Amino acid sequence: MIDKSAYRELETEVLVIGGGVTGTGVMRDLALRGIQCLLIDRRDLNAGASGGNHGLLHSGGRYAAADCETAAECRQEGEILKKIAADAVDPCGGLFVAVEGDDADFAGKFPQHCARAGIPCVELSPKEARELEPALSDKILSAYQVPDASIDPFRLTLANVQHAKQLNGSDYLPHIEVIRFEKTDGEITAAICQDHRAGTKLKIHARQFVNASGAWAKMVAELADCHDVNLLYSKGTLIISNTRITNAVVNRLRPPGDGDILVPGGTVSLLGTTSDSIDNLDNIRPTVSEVDRILKQGVALVPVLETTRFIRAFSGVRPLLMSSGALDDGRKASRGFTLYDHEQQGLSNFATIAGGKLTTYRLMAEKTGDLVASRLGNENPCQSADVMLPVDEGTRWTEPGYSARHWFKHSDASDLILCECEMVSQSVVDKVIQKAPGAEREMTLQAIGLRSRIGKGTCQGAFCSMRVTSHLYDQDIYRNKQGLGHLRDFVSARFKGIKPILWGEQMPQMELAETMHCGLMGLDLLDVDDARSQQTDLSEVKK
Amino acid sequence: MNVIDFKAKAEALLPDGANYDACLACGLCASGCPASGFDGMDPRRFIRMAMLGMNEELSTTAWVWTCTQCQRCAHVCPMGIDVSVLVGIARGAWPTEKKPRGIVRSCEAQMLFEGTSAMGLQTEDFVEIVEETAEEIRESSPQFETLKAPMDKKGAFFFVNQNSREPATEPEELGPLWKIFDYVGADWTYASKGWAAENFCMFTGDDEAWEKMVRQRVDAVNELGCDVWLNTECGHSFYTLWKGVERFNLQANFEPDSLVTYYAKWIREGKLPVNSDWNTKGIKFTLQDPCQLIRKSIGDPAADDLRYITRKLVGEENFIDMQPCRSANYCCGGGGGFLQAGMNEQRRAYGKRKFDQIKSTEADYVLTPCHNCHSQIEDIGDHYGGHYHVVHMWTLICLSLGILGENERKYLGPDLANLGLVQGEQYD
Repeated sequence: MIDKSAYRELETEVLVIGGGVTGTGVMRDLALRGIQCLLIDRRDLNAGASGGNHGLLHSGGRYAAADCETAAECRQEGEILKKIAADAVDPCGGLFVAVEGDDADFAGKFPQHCARAGIPCVELSPKEARELEPALSDKILSAYQVPDASIDPFRLTLANVQHAKQLNGSDYLPHIEVIRFEKTDGEITAAICQDHRAGTKLKIHARQFVNASGAWAKMVAELADCHDVNLLYSKGTLIISNTRITNAVVNRLRPPGDGDILVPGGTVSLLGTTSDSIDNLDNIRPTVSEVDRILKQGVALVPVLETTRFIRAFSGVRPLLMSSGALDDGRKASRGFTLYDHEQQGLSNFATIAGGKLTTYRLMAEKTGDLVASRLGNENPCQSADVMLPVDEGTRWTEPGYSARHWFKHSDASDLILCECEMVSQSVVDKVIQKAPGAEREMTLQAIGLRSRIGKGTCQGAFCSMRVTSHLYDQDIYRNKQGLGHLRDFVSARFKGIKPILWGEQMPQMELAETMHCGLMGLDLLDVDDARSQQTDLSEVKK
Repeated sequence: MNVIDFKAKAEALLPDGANYDACLACGLCASGCPASGFDGMDPRRFIRMAMLGMNEELSTTAWVWTCTQCQRCAHVCPMGIDVSVLVGIARGAWPTEKKPRGIVRSCEAQMLFEGTSAMGLQTEDFVEIVEETAEEIRESSPQFETLKAPMDKKGAFFFVNQNSREPATEPEELGPLWKIFDYVGADWTYASKGWAAENFCMFTGDDEAWEKMVRQRVDAVNELGCDVWLNTECGHSFYTLWKGVERFNLQANFEPDSLVTYYAKWIREGKLPVNSDWNTKGIKFTLQDPCQLIRKSIGDPAADDLRYITRKLVGEENFIDMQPCRSANYCCGGGGGFLQAGMNEQRRAYGKRKFDQIKSTEADYVLTPCHNCHSQIEDIGDHYGGHYHVVHMWTLICLSLGILGENERKYLGPDLANLGLVQGEQYD
């Protein structure tokens, strides 16, 4: 038992739980109204669906047929994000393409559905479509152009946090998990949390508590005895190609199914997804059969996918709102969102924001901000649609190709490149460690990876993991065997995503990685507990 | 500035088989590339930047002129990726006025006359120099009083090409080659068309110009009806025709072959009875494998031949191979037009690796059957304070046979300058 007096205590106006795009959006929304927040996440930024998606900024075309309201929301929010987060958006446009065997009736109604949701839609001849995107199948039935775009969800999250911090000193703490709430007279007074890195407990006092924990929203609400949040979990798996295949987003024009969207992500492309209902949020990882399903469908639309080199697969869980008729089919569930004020559950300072989409996160944050601000008596209007997201040296390194161009432009031979695939240099890693949101004294490689392109390239961290680790030891940031533990954790996490796409060129790539990580470094023999508990500094051993 | 889409080009070039997308980022290419580090570039970086779509940067980096397209990167690549092809494309995209003048001028000179000489040597002058030099040899050496250097001899077995350097600047170096032909009784000819060996058009990245040069030479050989186009001791001149015939799908009614192959053949057959008896002082020799002749074209058979010839010439115990060697050998830094590009500082920095390699053999002489290697290795020797001499094979072959004239010894050191001459030291 830990003595209560040993709790580290923190105080904030609003505690936001969940470092995904919604939670960080709420944080920024509130900071723009002058409200100070503390954001916490059980793991780190974008650990859930915010990091496990296509990075697709929907024009709304995808939902035009089934859910006009969501489609219209996507269109409006898409336009806003293209403006306020221009730096994180690639306005590449999108195509909806039906190929032989697809339902011609469904395809034919697409322009009407788009018109109803106010989505600009231009019909293209198959020839025009293939001129725009030569990789498309030559068996096109019909094609339409819509204003889809791609967006970097990591950049968005980092910028939200950085902005809030700059505005009023709002802060973010990673690896902090709420384990229970303290309540008095229909109000939550504090959240008792576990700091998973320090191994200590934390008591956070706040006036308002916001649950933006995505797929975990139901569980967090239940910690406060709120039983009104009901979610359907839909697991989606995606695969990443080594290089960019199409310029525009390519959607299969048919009722949503597996492997029917190919989205460019800067220098790569992402093909997905699957949609499988699941009950348990533990051990979410992509499987071989999911990858097979995605590819089988994707090839019909973009035949070159058959021989494309894929470098990793990943999965996310969509937290969908349970609604009638959607019981077992995630694709038919609503993409809309709900803000729970939990007042009927007897609480007046707790709110849960759930459901929704990456594209509509700002609107979700606005609605949440409206409720929280009014509860605090703050009458400032929402400004999140008008104020630009900042770009700075702590948040800009997740953009594919940016580090490489930056390095090449500065051409400083003394600034050694640590990641050759994405050309990330020492100075960039140093900037991430010093200036990125959530940076801390002993950052894990995974934490550095989600704030940069470390580990994202062809070799999936085989080389840079070792080089960054060495650099951190050189900088005295890693001091004992724990650094090797971070290295092992990082390559193990990467391998989860590589395993289901191990064929072709990625096979020798991983043979090489195995030789280095196991054969050379002996990471497979590293005793975790020994590494974790070992207190001796290597620097002392050296003496 | 012309911006190339390198990824698209690579895909178009290689519809199947080798694939730039296959790069493992392992860096074997970069760690063995003497041009690594110039302009912040190396072969791995080139591939990665192509894959990242950094086309503007790749279309403008001057690194492509410090890469000698030696293909060592491709040789060691576990995935069979050849960066030099992309470098060639990048070179070709440079505006002509921005390309290194020395390379462009040499290519332009080749275009001017039917002889295709990069030094602008016209055929009538070439013919005159050949005649005068042959006459001098006939007069001064009784043994070679019937020596001929035939011109446009139809149906000769060998069509022999000639690097312009000798006729233009050091005609006395022609003698040893002709003496060897005379010694073995070779049926050979020079030609008034397409006689020159060098092809700087290939180095400009201008494929059309490369093709034009090779086509002119192939036509000249076909016209004379020779069996073998024999490339003398020059590296890139072999590669440019050998590769060009395949690349541009030309009709060649002859076999391109290297003089090195024939030296070895003649020695094995006893036609060139060379030996190392003259090397009583145990003078040490090392050998430069020209990239164009070994790694890029003939490979191990030519590397074996070079060593066979060298051991016969200098004695088994007096030959010290460089490490690495053969197809893994480092380019000297004179290839790819680097010698003519006017980038002396980088060229010498590139050549430092070769210099160190030579130095660690402690050899007194470097043998090399390539003109660019010859010039570059001499230059880096002077620059870095080496104490070695650089010689062609023909000099040593004639020395061993006792037929090397007094004026054919400019590349020999004082230890060998008078060996075998009547007024000097005698053979044992």
